[in-house]
Amino acid sequence: MRAERILVNAGKTLAVLLLLVWSLFPIVFIITSSFKPGREIFAVPPQWLFEPTFDHYITLWQRWAVFFHGLLNSTIVTIGAAALAVVASTCAGYVYSRYSSRWLGASLLSLIAIRLIPPIVVTLPLFPIVNNLGLADTHFILSVLYATFFVSLGTVLMRTFVDQIPRELDEAASMDGATLPVILWRIIMPLAAPGIIAVAVFVVVFAWNEFLFAFIFTSTKAKTAPLVISEMIGSIEGVDWGVLFAASTIQLLPVLIFVMLMNRYLVAGLTAGATKG
Amino acid sequence: MARLKLSGVKKDFGGVEVIKGVDLDIEDGEFVVFVGPSGCGKSTLLRLIAGLEEISGGQLEIDGRVSNDVPSRDRGIAMVFQSYALYPHLTVAENMGFSLSLRKTPKAEIDRSVLQAATILKLEHLLDRKPSQLSGGQRQRVAIGRAIVREPSIFLFDEPLSNLDAALRMETRTEIAKLHRDLAATMIYVTHDQVEAMTLADKIVVLKGGVVQQVGAPMELYRNPCNAFVAGFIGSPRMNLLKVDVTSVEDGKARLAQPGLEHLVVPAGRVTAPGKALLGVRPQTLTLNPGQHQVSGTVTLVERMGPETVISIRLADGSSLLAVLPGDVEQALDANVSFSFADTDVRLFPASDLEN
Repeated sequence: MRAERILVNAGKTLAVLLLLVWSLFPIVFIITSSFKPGREIFAVPPQWLFEPTFDHYITLWQRWAVFFHGLLNSTIVTIGAAALAVVASTCAGYVYSRYSSRWLGASLLSLIAIRLIPPIVVTLPLFPIVNNLGLADTHFILSVLYATFFVSLGTVLMRTFVDQIPRELDEAASMDGATLPVILWRIIMPLAAPGIIAVAVFVVVFAWNEFLFAFIFTSTKAKTAPLVISEMIGSIEGVDWGVLFAASTIQLLPVLIFVMLMNRYLVAGLTAGATKG
Repeated sequence: MARLKLSGVKKDFGGVEVIKGVDLDIEDGEFVVFVGPSGCGKSTLLRLIAGLEEISGGQLEIDGRVSNDVPSRDRGIAMVFQSYALYPHLTVAENMGFSLSLRKTPKAEIDRSVLQAATILKLEHLLDRKPSQLSGGQRQRVAIGRAIVREPSIFLFDEPLSNLDAALRMETRTEIAKLHRDLAATMIYVTHDQVEAMTLADKIVVLKGGVVQQVGAPMELYRNPCNAFVAGFIGSPRMNLLKVDVTSVEDGKARLAQPGLEHLVVPAGRVTAPGKALLGVRPQTLTLNPGQHQVSGTVTLVERMGPETVISIRLADGSSLLAVLPGDVEQALDANVSFSFADTDVRLFPASDLEN
């Protein structure tokens, strides 16, 4: 029995370690490489001990100012998308939770169905429309697009959360004098906070890293950081891998920190409704 | 404080009528209790008054003003929910002051009102706690406190004591009665517990199937129930309803044919013709002393409570009958016993009362 348990535990530990290596290796590689002198980056065998250098970061700052502008654009678009998606998902989730009719049921189903369509199918026909409206190359259009693709999932998630808030609380608040927006703001949103954070994490990770829509709908003013990184690869002077890894590290860190900070709530969010709370 | 008038109030949910035209007058400062079995529509009626459900037909007037379409927040009504419905993310003080904070009342004034209500309910030491850190009884008092702080003209209580244990229920019941005396506000209280109804109410409204059966003061309903349903519902244990045959009805008096009841002549009430009827006998009016009018059967259960003994017997027709005898009475199971009663203590109802 005892030997068996040790074996099982060892197996589990090994599996976790493999997973860790599998998921952490690229991150560690990118971050360490950004501090290595250029010729050591792809050295065989890999150099684990090296003298860190900030050269790549300095070069990045001097020659790729457009990257930092891209980061600012990414930040604006991401915050916009997250805010839009959270507000829309919470409101829609509230409606789906509190009201019921045949049409509402059907529309919830269609929300999920829309999610299954490849985004590019919807995106290409949008291009002339966005152009005609004069919305191409704006932060606004990217925020709206990113939010739109997450509202369906966000709505379903938020409905689960609102379902767990007793309806009597809405009624008590309404008798206390609250209007619907006040109920949403002061009762529903604080109590559904883990769900809101889960939706926000999804949207932030997606919007921060997204490439395809940004590539299609922006050119200069609203160009996001991933586009600039791709330009680095296509640079005519050849790829400066050190600078590329420095840019990737900077691109990677904010979202990594954000997800780690929100991790606690995210787990609660993803398992919502699994058991009666 | 407010008067309330319901005229032909109806409510249907998707074609199913659950409130079938209720007429009711509630006076300023009155304590009215809605009672009835579950599903009788008493909670729905309360929610219609609260404005939490839309009225499908008829009219609701609050202080002479038609209020069918007035949102609940503008009706001057506070409600205490069965589940308490405290905001879990707010402290006791914030819960109680929530309505005032929505009205943009100055902080100092909110604090004063909250403290005042908390003092009445002995909650002062709990003001900084969250609802999850309170016991059931404390949560109930916070819910009542939240209603008091609003200074509503009408208080609504939806089965507020049903989640409390027996001792706490009695204590809170006393507190609610005291609160009504102190605040002199109009209160409407829903319960399925007829003891709560009898002890708290100025006026009881008995409901069944969305229809008002009888409205009146507790003792009026106890002494003169208008039908077999009210007779069975008011009083504890419930009134015995014996199936009897009426042989003749003359000058408002009915004569019965049952063995042991041959000499019984009772006021006919709503019974107008010979045939099947129900004879209502309160368990407390039965005695073991021999008398002119008797019912006999086999003892099936003896419950000795100390100050009184409850004896159940099975009658010849298979129905059962309860008797409450004062003091501790020893009685063997399966023995044959006869109970007698005075003809002034019974009431006659048409057999149709218990159909439907």
